Amino acid sequence: MADAPASPATASESQVGGSPTADGVKERDGFLPVADISRIMRKAIPPNGKIDKGAIEAVQEFVSEFVSFITSEVSDKCRREKRKTMTGDDLLWAMATLGFEDYMEPLILYLHKYREAEVEAGDDAVAV
Amino acid sequence: MRLARPYSGVFRGGATARTGPHALPLARIKKIMKRSAGDGSGGDGTGARMISGEAPVVFSRACELFVAELTRAAWAATLDGKRRTVHREDVAQAVRDTDLFDFLVDVVKDDDAGHEDGGDGVVGAGAGEACDDDGGAL
Repeated sequence: MADAPASPATASESQVGGSPTADGVKERDGFLPVADISRIMRKAIPPNGKIDKGAIEAVQEFVSEFVSFITSEVSDKCRREKRKTMTGDDLLWAMATLGFEDYMEPLILYLHKYREAEVEAGDDAVAV
Repeated sequence: MRLARPYSGVFRGGATARTGPHALPLARIKKIMKRSAGDGSGGDGTGARMISGEAPVVFSRACELFVAELTRAAWAATLDGKRRTVHREDVAQAVRDTDLFDFLVDVVKDDDAGHEDGGDGVVGAGAGEACDDDGGAL
C-alpha cells in the first residue's frame, strides 16, 4: 500500500523506484527526503520513542499533500488576480486561510531572517 | 557569483550539509509545487507558472512545522496504544483526530484493515511492544 501514489497530483509520476541515495536507500520521487523527514519527526517525540519506517513514509506522503494543498490554493489566487508568480506572501495568506494560522508567527520570523541573510550575502558578493 | 556564506546563528538546527541552511531541500519542494500549480488551471495559461525564490523557503519551514505537529499527534496515538514505536496507523489516527488535517482524510488509506485500535483494543499485530520488531524503527 505504501507503494501506491498518495494523491492525484502525484498519480502520474513514477513512484516505484525513486533514486537511490548514497547509503543505498531508495528515495521516492515526489516526496521530501526520508532522512530529513525522520530527523524532524525524531525531534518531535521523546528520546525513548521510536519511529517505524511505515510512519515516516506516511508522513512523507502527507507533507507532499500539504504542499500540493497550499500550492493549489495559491495558484488559483494568482490566476484570479492575473499574476504569474507565486510568492512567499501568497503562501502565508493561503496557510492562514486554510487553518494554519498558528504557523504565521514562526513563518514570518523565518522569512524575515532569510531576507536579512540574503541582504548580507548580497553585500558580500558585491565586495568580491 | 555569490559566496557560500555560512548562515549559522541565523537559522535553527534544521540545517544539514545537504539541505544548506534550511531543514528541507528547496529544489525538491519547488518540484512538488510545480506539479501542483498546474492543477485546476485548465491550461488557459493564466495560472501561476513561476515561483518566487522565497516560496520554497517559506515551505521549508512550514513543512517542518507540519511534520512536527503531525508527529506529535501520532505520538499521542502511540501512547494511547501503550507503545513506544510510532506506526503508520498512528499517523492515520492523528489525521482522523485533528480537524486541521481534514484535507488528508481522503489520502489516508484503509490499510491495516481490521487494525482499528480505539485505544481499548488489542487487535492484531502492532498492539504490543512484543510485536515491534524494530526492523524499521529509528
